[in-house]
Amino acid sequence: MQNRPSGFGNPWLQLALSVACVLVSELLLKRGATEVANTDSAWSWTGVNGLASPLVWWAILLIIASFISWLYVLRYIPLTIAFPLSRVVDILVPLGCWIFLGELISPLRWCGIALVVVGLALVAKPIAQIEERL
Amino acid sequence: MSFLAFFLIVVSLVSFVAAQLILKQAMAATTRTDFRNAQFVSKVTGSIILMTISFFLTLGLLQRFDLSYLYPFQGLSVIFITLMAALVLKEKLNTRLAVGALLISVGIVLVSLS
Repeated sequence: MQNRPSGFGNPWLQLALSVACVLVSELLLKRGATEVANTDSAWSWTGVNGLASPLVWWAILLIIASFISWLYVLRYIPLTIAFPLSRVVDILVPLGCWIFLGELISPLRWCGIALVVVGLALVAKPIAQIEERL
Repeated sequence: MSFLAFFLIVVSLVSFVAAQLILKQAMAATTRTDFRNAQFVSKVTGSIILMTISFFLTLGLLQRFDLSYLYPFQGLSVIFITLMAALVLKEKLNTRLAVGALLISVGIVLVSLS
């Protein structure tokens, strides 16, 4: 592995940016897709009618932004580490709903969130050692 | 859930996993060569096409099913990508990373089920 850039070019910062963009885009996509849902049409199986919603277009912009950050991440971080870490978004979405939208989180869901956190910690632990070796 | 829906979920998952592996391969190569080579361009184009297929299939599925129902399948991508990165890309996979990926996947499934 070559020397990693620091500052804005830091791959870990880019990974965080990528996750933030995915988080917002997922919420926009669900709202946008529901807004224009027309399940009677056979074409809607392809999802293209979702393009009628402006929210879907905002989500697409965010997905492109997260994609560019993600490409950058892939240059420097192994997929076995970067991809599991990127799934932190899967607990940020329900936590975001809980904090900002006042939705309830069931005990089973809290257990799931706890498992993801433990899994993330296991994946993230060796990173400190990798960084030391560089 | 109909067979068609299940089939589309699987296609969406497989194309997403394949896209990630191809992208990683293409981007890892850029640390050794520059961006202007045919192999890099064709790999990135191929993975963008695969991701687009996966994206529109998911959009179509979202119109019929709750996000909470579809999400466990996305959780599975963590296990698949970690395993395939080790097998195909020969990345180092130790027990700790494998258990971590497994816990994240199980956690995502639990979060979506409840």
